[in-house]
Amino acid sequence: MPEIFINGQSVQASEDQTVLQVALENGFFVPYFCWHPQLSVAGNCRMCLVEVEGRGLDIACNMPVNTGMKVFTDSEDVKAHRKAILQFITLNHPVDCGICDKAGECTLQDYHYAYNGDASLSRDAKVTSTKFYNLSNRILLDNERCILCLRCTRFTHEVSKSMALGVERRGDVSNIRPVEDRPLAEDPYSDNIIDLCPVGALLSRQFLHKSRVWYLQPTPSVCPGCERGCTIQVWHRKPEWYLQSLDQRQNTSIARVTPLENPAVNGPWICNKGRDLARIFERTRAEQPMLKGRPVPVAEALDAARRLIGASRHPVALVSNWGSNEELEAFKRHLGEVFHSRVKRDWLPEEGERVEDDLLIRPDKNPNSAKARELFDEGGPAWHDGTDLVLVWGEGCDFARIPPKARLIFLNSYLAPENGHADVFLPISIQTERAGHYTNFQGVVSRFEACFPKAGSVLDAEAVFKSLATPARGHP
Amino acid sequence: MPGRQLIMGFPVTATSHSLAEYRARGGYAALDKALRQMQPADIVKEVTASGLQGRGGAAFPVGRKWQVIVHDDGQPHYLIANADEGEPGTFKDRWILENNPHVLLESMLISSYALNVRNCFVYIRGEFDLPYRRLAGAVEEAYAAGFFGQHVLGSQFSCDIVVYRGAGAYVAGEASGLIASLEGKKSYPRNRPPRLTVRGLYQRPTVVNNVESLSNVAWIIGNGAAAFKAVGTPKSPGTRLFSVSGHVNRPGVFEVELGYPWMKFLEEDCGGIQGGGALKCVVPGGVSSKVLTGADIANLRLAHEDLWDAGSTLGSGGMIVIAEGTCMVSLLQVILRFYHHESCGQCTPCRHGTGWMHRIIDRIVAGEGRPEDIERLYYISKFNDGTTICGLGDAAGYACTGILDKYRDEFEYYIEHKRSRHDGNLECLRSS
Repeated sequence: MPEIFINGQSVQASEDQTVLQVALENGFFVPYFCWHPQLSVAGNCRMCLVEVEGRGLDIACNMPVNTGMKVFTDSEDVKAHRKAILQFITLNHPVDCGICDKAGECTLQDYHYAYNGDASLSRDAKVTSTKFYNLSNRILLDNERCILCLRCTRFTHEVSKSMALGVERRGDVSNIRPVEDRPLAEDPYSDNIIDLCPVGALLSRQFLHKSRVWYLQPTPSVCPGCERGCTIQVWHRKPEWYLQSLDQRQNTSIARVTPLENPAVNGPWICNKGRDLARIFERTRAEQPMLKGRPVPVAEALDAARRLIGASRHPVALVSNWGSNEELEAFKRHLGEVFHSRVKRDWLPEEGERVEDDLLIRPDKNPNSAKARELFDEGGPAWHDGTDLVLVWGEGCDFARIPPKARLIFLNSYLAPENGHADVFLPISIQTERAGHYTNFQGVVSRFEACFPKAGSVLDAEAVFKSLATPARGHP
Repeated sequence: MPGRQLIMGFPVTATSHSLAEYRARGGYAALDKALRQMQPADIVKEVTASGLQGRGGAAFPVGRKWQVIVHDDGQPHYLIANADEGEPGTFKDRWILENNPHVLLESMLISSYALNVRNCFVYIRGEFDLPYRRLAGAVEEAYAAGFFGQHVLGSQFSCDIVVYRGAGAYVAGEASGLIASLEGKKSYPRNRPPRLTVRGLYQRPTVVNNVESLSNVAWIIGNGAAAFKAVGTPKSPGTRLFSVSGHVNRPGVFEVELGYPWMKFLEEDCGGIQGGGALKCVVPGGVSSKVLTGADIANLRLAHEDLWDAGSTLGSGGMIVIAEGTCMVSLLQVILRFYHHESCGQCTPCRHGTGWMHRIIDRIVAGEGRPEDIERLYYISKFNDGTTICGLGDAAGYACTGILDKYRDEFEYYIEHKRSRHDGNLECLRSS
């Protein structure tokens, strides 16, 4: 274990580390743009210049540790050079923070305030370039804001391996450009480059000009897109900034989804499907309990369900693998003895969706198959001719195959024709309205938090199961 | 003749580049000697003892570069001749490639044998047409004669060569940028460490040497390190090829024994300044080296140590002679336009700094200079120096400060009067 000195303080390093890694690990912040722990060292931004006694300035990200080396991260020379590097970076940068989505979470902005603070030394016209360059149906590129750290090109070469991006031309007119015949649109991880971009050069079309980031807050959650169960941040409006007029649905809608770094599951990445959770969660909701399509109060619907269960001799349940660990356990605890239960696959791969790869995407497109399988049987026929009651929890049921004589209790979150056909329909909450845990295919348990309040007539499945377990009042 | 000649010492004719004439001059005897009488380590020792310095610009000792290669480390090694001669004012490698290509090939064979190289490369700049054809012809001749391929001259040593044409980037002349280009990538220079002699082409130990540096190896092996050291000065052994351009009567490529008096060279060999004018300054070795005034060089010899003492360098040997009456502001504009155009754009200071300098000098030349511009040029040069991945950023700064240091008054005059003191003149005034 080599010992090195950073700003005079002795720290232990391991031989394969760079000075930047050692410094960051030990609480000495060294600013950087191009370096990223999951990508190769590019060493092109020159922001992490540090001084080494006897050797002068060099970049920390590419500097191997040497026993006894004396590194200074804040010497006068280092400060002067940092300031100059920022002068160079902002020379042709448009500094259009006022209309830039990245403002508020922009590394360049932060560093400018921390290490430069001066106006540009140049009064000459800036080099102009393309704005809103169409990289894919998801991503726009602003070449003027780009600082050519090449994180995005390295990501597509080293992580997603789509090889979709490269650099065109040279000097101060070089541009990030898509590579011929390698469409970024076919890279299911493409949106990670938006997070990787330290400035506002790579823009999400979905999020473009949708909100200033300081009006938003992230809630930790888990992506339900497949059994990988990547941890994510669901960004939504801060309650203190709720809109009082205009379209108030914006207050409880998902503004964007970003990865929540998690070495055990997904590292710092997620796939594009995880960015599009609004497509799943913001479908029209079912909020009204019904008996054969007739709206009824919650208590009446629950009563009816209880009576059906009480009268049934051969009840069957199809359990949702979108239920949280808590909900699945609650079902097992309260109704496991009553029903003959089977796990249902709520979601199957969609047309054109990548089914599986060796980075994150898994073939089972449901978040909690592992826990559901642990508690309930998966295979075998669920029902027989004598089945007289079927409880369907969640989506993905082939209703045509349910025995025609069987009565139906249906728990669903979204508007669907079957809701009105069910003998009892109970609207249940979705993932963003409750907290819980999912178990991924590796057995890793991750927690998600509630982002929004649910409507008054919507029930939590866990409460429904508990309530159904209590004997029915009266007789059918 | 400015001293002894090791590379150019024969009359150039229409056929003097051929294998037959090269052999008639004693060519490929050194290869024979190396393969039959010497071990690879002996050759490395000999080249190290010769004190041969790199001729590409940095004058790094060739032997020291070679010593990093571990002969039997179980991995392939590569040797690359850097023929991407792009430094403005430099055209000496071109002379070798056109007129004596076999000396390069013989030297590369000896070097490959010394460094345990199975495959060697020549990276030649794409703009070189005749040099490429001559070199390609020479490679064909050498293969036919059994110098390349399996079992060179019946020995256990086998070697193949690839001539690769660049696509036109100054930065591809930087060793690691060259390697990136040779690998089929954009010629972005690489961060060191690792050094190229540890991980270079295809991540294997690689030696990249300038064409002229390599071309000396055959002579050194043929005649011995001691004989080589007897040429030139103790700190600058051997000869150098200078490509002289600018306001002299007889521009061209000259082989000069190091230590030769500079003024004598200019006056006798290069025929003095055109029209009998006075010497203003000299760019000694490509525009990346700092200019020296006529007074600076009056008592200097063409030797590394003399140039280093004077605060400049022999660089790549691209000597540009500038007569009195030349506008240094316009000259700097030409130089800075070049660096701006050639910056690869990989790292921040050079990408923006070269363009910034270019815009400032363009503005000064357009008569819109501002008093703070000179300080700004110094500022950009200062923070480009040592902060970039390769030397291009540094070089742009050196070229700029070199001229500013010596001719600041011309810039101040231009900015104040919005016109050149010398009418923006870059031609030699023949009227005097």
